[in-house]
Amino acid sequence: MQFVQNFPFFCILLTLMGAVASSVMNSRMARRTTLFLILADLAMNVSVMIYTLQTGDSYAYKMGHFPAPWGNEIRVGVLETVSLTVFLLVILFAFLGGMRKSEKEIEPTKYNIYCILTDLVMLSLIALVYTNDMFTAFVFIEINTLAAAGLVMMRQGGRALVAGVRYMMMNLLGSSLFLIGCVILYTITGHLLMVNIRESVAALAATGQYHVPLTVVVSLISVGLAMKCALFPFDKWLPAAYSNSTPTGSAMLSSIVSKGYIFLLIKVYVRVIGFDVIRSLGICDVLFIFGAIGMVAGSVNATRAKTTRMMVAYSSVAQIGYIFAALGLGSEMGVMCALWHTLAHSATKSMLFISAHTLDHASGDTHLRKDLRGAFYRSPLAAAAFTLGAVNLVGVPLLSVFITKVTMAQAAIQIGGRHTVIALCALAISTLLNAKYFLGTTMQMYIPDHEHPERNAKVKINFYAALGLIGFIALNLTLSFFAQGIFGALLDGLARFA
Amino acid sequence: MLSLAVFLPIVCGLAMFACRGMTHRARQVLTEGVTLVTSLLVLFCLMNKRGVAYTPLYLLPKLPISFCIDGVGSVFAAIVAFLWPLATLYGFEYMEHEGGENHFFALYTMTYGVTLGIATAANVLTLYLFYEFLTLCTLPLVMHGTSKASVRAGYTYMMYSFFGAALAFVGVMLIIGFGDGGAFVMGGVMSEAAAEHPLMVQIGYLCAFLGFGVKAAVFPFHVWLPEASVAPTPVTALLHAVAVVKSGVFAIIRVTYFSFGAQVMRGTTAQAIALLLASATIVYGSTMAVKEHHFKRRLAYSTVSNLSYILLAACLMTQSGLTAALAHMLFHALIKITLFFCAGAVMVKTERTQIEDLRGLAKVMPFTCATYTIGAISLMGTPLLPGFVSKWLIGSAAIETGTTLGMIGVAALLISAVLTAIYLMGPAMSMYFRPLEGMEPTAKCDPGMRMKLPFAVLAAAIVLCGLFSDPIITLLAKLSAGVM
Amino acid sequence: MNILLILAIFWPALAGLAIFLTPSLKENKKLRGQTVSVALGIELLLTIIMCFGKGTQMVLLNMTPTLRIEMNVDVIGCIFSVLMSAMWLLSSVFAREYMGHDDNERLYQVFYMCVLSALIGQCYAGSMVTLYVFYELMTLLSVPMVVHERTPQAVAAGIKYLVYSIFGAMLGLLGIFFFSNYLGTVTFVPGGVETAASAPSGLLLITFLVIIGFGTKAGMFPMHGWLPTAHPVAPAPASAVLSGVITKAGVLAVLRVIYYLVGADVLRGTWVQKGFMTLTLITVFMGSMLAYRETLLKKRLAYSTVSQVSYVLFGLACMVPAAFEGAILHVVAHSVIKDALFLCAGAIIHQTGKIYVRDLRGIGKEMPITTWCWTIASLGLIGIPPTGGFVSKWQLATGSLETGLAGFDVVGPIILIVSALLTAAYLLPVTINGFFPGSDYDYSTLTNKEGSKLMTVPMILLAAGVVLTGIFAQPLINVIMTAAASIL
Repeated sequence: MQFVQNFPFFCILLTLMGAVASSVMNSRMARRTTLFLILADLAMNVSVMIYTLQTGDSYAYKMGHFPAPWGNEIRVGVLETVSLTVFLLVILFAFLGGMRKSEKEIEPTKYNIYCILTDLVMLSLIALVYTNDMFTAFVFIEINTLAAAGLVMMRQGGRALVAGVRYMMMNLLGSSLFLIGCVILYTITGHLLMVNIRESVAALAATGQYHVPLTVVVSLISVGLAMKCALFPFDKWLPAAYSNSTPTGSAMLSSIVSKGYIFLLIKVYVRVIGFDVIRSLGICDVLFIFGAIGMVAGSVNATRAKTTRMMVAYSSVAQIGYIFAALGLGSEMGVMCALWHTLAHSATKSMLFISAHTLDHASGDTHLRKDLRGAFYRSPLAAAAFTLGAVNLVGVPLLSVFITKVTMAQAAIQIGGRHTVIALCALAISTLLNAKYFLGTTMQMYIPDHEHPERNAKVKINFYAALGLIGFIALNLTLSFFAQGIFGALLDGLARFA
Repeated sequence: MLSLAVFLPIVCGLAMFACRGMTHRARQVLTEGVTLVTSLLVLFCLMNKRGVAYTPLYLLPKLPISFCIDGVGSVFAAIVAFLWPLATLYGFEYMEHEGGENHFFALYTMTYGVTLGIATAANVLTLYLFYEFLTLCTLPLVMHGTSKASVRAGYTYMMYSFFGAALAFVGVMLIIGFGDGGAFVMGGVMSEAAAEHPLMVQIGYLCAFLGFGVKAAVFPFHVWLPEASVAPTPVTALLHAVAVVKSGVFAIIRVTYFSFGAQVMRGTTAQAIALLLASATIVYGSTMAVKEHHFKRRLAYSTVSNLSYILLAACLMTQSGLTAALAHMLFHALIKITLFFCAGAVMVKTERTQIEDLRGLAKVMPFTCATYTIGAISLMGTPLLPGFVSKWLIGSAAIETGTTLGMIGVAALLISAVLTAIYLMGPAMSMYFRPLEGMEPTAKCDPGMRMKLPFAVLAAAIVLCGLFSDPIITLLAKLSAGVM
Repeated sequence: MNILLILAIFWPALAGLAIFLTPSLKENKKLRGQTVSVALGIELLLTIIMCFGKGTQMVLLNMTPTLRIEMNVDVIGCIFSVLMSAMWLLSSVFAREYMGHDDNERLYQVFYMCVLSALIGQCYAGSMVTLYVFYELMTLLSVPMVVHERTPQAVAAGIKYLVYSIFGAMLGLLGIFFFSNYLGTVTFVPGGVETAASAPSGLLLITFLVIIGFGTKAGMFPMHGWLPTAHPVAPAPASAVLSGVITKAGVLAVLRVIYYLVGADVLRGTWVQKGFMTLTLITVFMGSMLAYRETLLKKRLAYSTVSQVSYVLFGLACMVPAAFEGAILHVVAHSVIKDALFLCAGAIIHQTGKIYVRDLRGIGKEMPITTWCWTIASLGLIGIPPTGGFVSKWQLATGSLETGLAGFDVVGPIILIVSALLTAAYLLPVTINGFFPGSDYDYSTLTNKEGSKLMTVPMILLAAGVVLTGIFAQPLINVIMTAAASIL
C-alpha cells in the first residue's frame, strides 16, 4: 500500500479539523486557513490522481480498523480523482475570485463563519465523491445542505433570507426522501456499504420478488437528489438562492453543491443498484422527460430575466436538465455525457458567476442586464471570461459543452425512436435560446455606450479577482482542448467505478 | 502544409489584436502579406496535396478534426484564395474612411483562415466547427461602426446564424450517428441508414439543408442578409457575397453529395421541399431586388436570389446539376464581388447610397461605372460572359431530370432572369444616360489605385471566364463526375 | 471561306472599335464619316462574296463541351446579310449629315457598327443557341442607339425596349432549353429536325411561346408596345435601321425556328399556326389603324413598321411556298421602303424642324426631292405596281388563299386589302399636302430646304431600289424558291 493512497483520508480529516479550528480564528486567519486547506487538498488529490492514472487502480480504503459491514470505507479511482481535481480547482478560483468582494459584503465578525461554511462544503464534496457507504453519504448530504444554506443567507439582506428559507425547505424535503429511501434499502438488503448492497440488489432483482420496494427506493433516492439539484419541476428555489449570494457563494452553490449530489446519484445508479436494474425499473424515462423539459423551460425563463445573475441562475436550471436528460438516456454514453457535463458546467458556471459579479461591480454596482453595455471597455478580463463562458454554454465546437451536446446527441440516436426526436429537439431549442440570452448580453458588452461616454473608461480590477478569472479561463480552455484525453480517462474510470 | 494554410491567417489575425500600435502602412503591408502568403500556400496544396488527409486533433475518440483537399473543395478554396487578397487591398482604401482598422483587419484575416477550414474540411464535424467560428468571426465585422443599425443587423445575423446552427447540429448529429462518423465520401455514407430509417434520414437532410441554408439565405431565413448591408463594403462584398454565403451553399453541397448521397436523396420528399424552397427564393429575391432603392440592399437581394440558383442546381442531385452549381458558385462569386466593390466605391467617394442618386455618375466615375456594367450584363446572362454559361447549365440540368420540379425551377430561373435584367441594368442605364445631379462633371472621383486594381483584375477575370468557359466547365464536370 | 466568314461577321465591330480608338479620327468628323462608310462598303462586299460560299460551316467557340457557337452559310442567311449590309451603308451616309452637329457621333458610330456585326452573326447562325447569342448581343448593343439623344423620354424608351427584348429573349431561351431536351439538338436543318415529328405535345406550346418571344423584336402583338416608343426617340438614321433592319432580325429568328428547327410539316394545321396567323393579322390591322390616327410623323412610321413586319410574319405563318416567297420579298421590299421613308422624315425634321404631319403642308415645294422619294416609297408600301411592294403583297395574298385553313383564306386577304387602304391613307397625305398645299398657303415663305448630297443620294438610291425590286423581282424570286424548296 503506497503512502499516497492515504491522501484521500488525509484530505477529509484535514479539512474537517481546519473547519473546526476556524471557528476560533479571526477573519484573516480563517481566510488563510481556508486557502491553505484548498491548496493542500488540491495538492494531495493531484498526487492521488497521478497515482490512479498511472496504475489504473481503483481501491477501497478502510477508515478506522473495523472491517465491513460495520466500518466505514471510501473508494478511490480514476473517475473520482479526476473529477475532484476539477472541482477543487473550481473552488480555488471561485474563492480567489470572490475574495475581496466577500470581504466587503459580509460583516467582519461573521467572516470566519463564512470560511467555515466554505470548508464544510468542500469537505462534503470530497466525502460524497469518495464515499462507499450509504449512511456516510447521507451525513455529508446534510452537512452540505446546512453549509450551503449558510452560504445562501450570508449576505443577510431580506431577499437572501427569504431565498435561504425556501432553499432549506426544498432541500430538507429532498434529504428526507433520500433518507427514507436509504432506510428501505437497508431493510431490504441489510447492508450499508455500496458494493455489498449491489450484490444483494442483483440477487433480489433476479428473483423478481422485491420489484415494488426497489422501484420505491430508486424513486425516492432519485427524487430526493433531484430536488436538491433543482431539476424541473423542483427548481423554483434556485434562481433566488443563487443570485442573492456573494460571488464565491453563488459560484460554489451552482458548481459544487449540486455537483456533489449528482455525483452521488450516479454513484448510486452505477455502484449501488446497477444500471441494468435501473433501466428495467423504468425510472430513466421519467428523468429523461423532466430533464428535456428543464432544458427548455430553464432557458425560456432565462430569456426573461432582468438581472444578469438571475439569467445565469436560470441557465443553471437548464444545464441541470441536460445532465438529467443524459442520465435518463440510460446508456453508458449517457452516463459519460452526464459526468462530462458535470465537470464542464461546474467550471463554466462558476466562471460566469464570478465574471458577472465583477462586471456588475465595474458597471456601477448594478444588477441589470442592460447596464452591461460597454462593459468590455470597463473590465476587459471579466468580459473575456464571460464571453468564453457564454460561448461555451451555447455549444460552440472545440469548447467543453460542445462535447456534451455531441455525446448526448449520439447517445440519443443510438437509442433511436422517440428519444432521438425529443433529445434533438430539446438540444436545438435550448441552443437557440441560449444564444439569444447569453450572446445577446455578451454582444452588448462590446458596444461602447455612446450616450454616456464617460462610462467607457476602464475600471481597475481587484488582483485576486483577476487571478481567479485567469485561473477559470485556463481551466475551461484546458477542459476544452484536452477533452479527448480527459474524456478517455473518465471513460476508463467509469468502467472501474462499479 | 494544409493546416498551415488554414491556421496561419487565424494566428496572425489573433496576433494583430495584440499589436495595437502599428502604423497604417505597417498594418496594411502585414495584412496583405499574410493574405498573399496564405493564398500561395493554398495554391501549392491545390497542385500537390490533393486527396491527402490530415488530422491534427481528435475531439473525442471517434470524432476527428481533419482536413483534406478534394475536387469540390478545391473549387471553393480556389475562389476564396483568389478573391481574398483583392478584397483586402480594396479594404485598405475603404477602411481609411471608416476607422477601427486594427480589429477589423485582424478579424478579416482570421475569417480567411476559417473559410479555408470550411473549404478543406474532411468530415462534417470539422465543417460544422469552422462554420460556427465563421459566425463568431464575422459578427464583429458586421457590427463594425456600432451604430444602432449595425447593432441591430449584428443581432439579427447572430440570431439567424445560431438558429441555423442549432438546426444544422441536428442534421450533423444524425449524419454522424447513422453514417458512421460523418466523413465526406463521394456518394454519401447514409445508404444503409436510408433503408432502415427513411423518415429519419429525410428529416435529417431537411434539418441540415435548412440549418446551413440560413447562411445560404434560403427563404424564409434570408432576412439577415439585406440587413447586413449596413456593414462596411469590404465585409458585404467579400463575406456576404463570397465567403459566408458561399460557405452555406458549399456546406449544403457537401452534405447533399458527400454525406447523404445523391442516389439516396433523389426523388424523396425532402428533395422536393428543398427544390421548391430554392425556386421560391430565386423569384422572391429578384422581386425584392427590383423594389429596393438602396444600392447595396438591392445587390444583397440579388445575392439571395443567385444563391438559390446554386442550390437549385445542387439539389437536382445529378452530375450535371453539381457541375452547374459549381459553375455558378464560381461565376457568381466573381461577379457579385465586383458589383459590391463598385457600390462601395460609389458610396465612399460620393456618399450616395440610393439608386436614384446614381444618375449620370459615369461622367465622374467612368472606371467604376464601366466595371459595374461589365458585372451587370454578365450576371444578367449575356452570352459570351460567364453568367450565361452557368444559367444555361442550371436550366439544362433542370430540364434533363424531366420532373415537374425541374420545370418549376426553369420557370423560376427565367422569371428571375427578366427581373435581373431590370434591376441590374436600371442603374447602369441611369449611370450613363441620365444627367448628373448635384456635382460638377469635371470633378472626377474614381477611387485610387488600391481600389482600381481589384476592379481591373476582376473585370478581366469575368471576361476571361466568359471566353474560356469551355475548359473551366470541362474541369468542373470532371470534378463532379467522381461524386456520383 | 472560313476566314472570310469570320471576317464578314467581325469586320464591322473591329472597324468600329478601331475608328473609335484612333486618335486622329477623334476630331476630324469628315474623315471619320468617310472611313465608316468605306468600312461598311467593304462589309457589303464581304457579304456578297459570302453568297458564293454557301454551305460553309464552322464552329466559332465552345462555351461548354455541349454548348457551341456554330455558323452555317445558306441562302436565307445570304439574302438577309446582304440586305442588312446595304441598308446599313446607306443609313450611315445619311447619318454623316444628320448627325453632323452631334457631339456624341463617335459613340453612336461605334455601337452602330457593332450592332451590324451581331446582325450578320445572326444571319449566319447555324443553331438556335448561336442565334440566341447574337440576338442578345444585338439587343444590348442597340440600346445605346435608342437612348442616343439622352432625353428622359429617350432613356425611358430605351429601358422599355430593353425590358421587352429581354422578356422576348427569355422566351427564346426557354425554347432552347426545351428544344434541346425534346428534340435532342438545336442545330438548324432545312425542313426541320427529324425528331420533331415524334416529339411530345409540349413542343407546340413551346414553339408558340418562342414565336411570341422572337416576335417581340418584330413588333408582333402582344409584344409590340416598345416599338412606337423606341423608334421615334432615336435619331432618324437609327430609326431607319431599327425599323428597317433590326425588326427583320426578329423575323429571321421566327423563320429559323419554324422552318429549320421544328419544321413546317409539324406545325401546319395546328393551333400554333392558327394562333400565329391570328396574331399577325391583328397586328397588321392594328398597326395600320394606329398609324392612320397618329399625328407625329416618326411615330406614324413606327406604327407602320409594326403593321408591315407582321405582313412578313403572316406570310411565314401560312407555310406555303407562295406565301413564303411573298414574305421574303416583303422583307427586302419593306426594308428598302421603310429605310427610305425614315430617311425622308429625318431629312424633313433636320432641315425644317417640323415633326407633326399637319405641319407638312407645302413640304413638296420646299424639299421636292425628299417628297418625291417619299412618294415613290409610299407607292411601294401601298402595293402599286411596278414596285417591289406590289409583288410581295401579291404573293402574300396568293399564298394566303392556298393555306387551306378555313376562314383564314378569306379573312387574310381582306385584312391585307383594308390595311393597304389605310396605308394609303396615312402615307399619301404627306405627298398630297406637300405638293398641293391649297390656295391659302403662303408661297412667299418658300425656300429650298433640301439637304446636302449626303442626305439626298441615299434617299434617291433607296427610292430607285423600291422600283427596281419590283421590276427585277424574278431573279430574287428564283433565289428564294431554291430556299423554299428545301424547307416546304
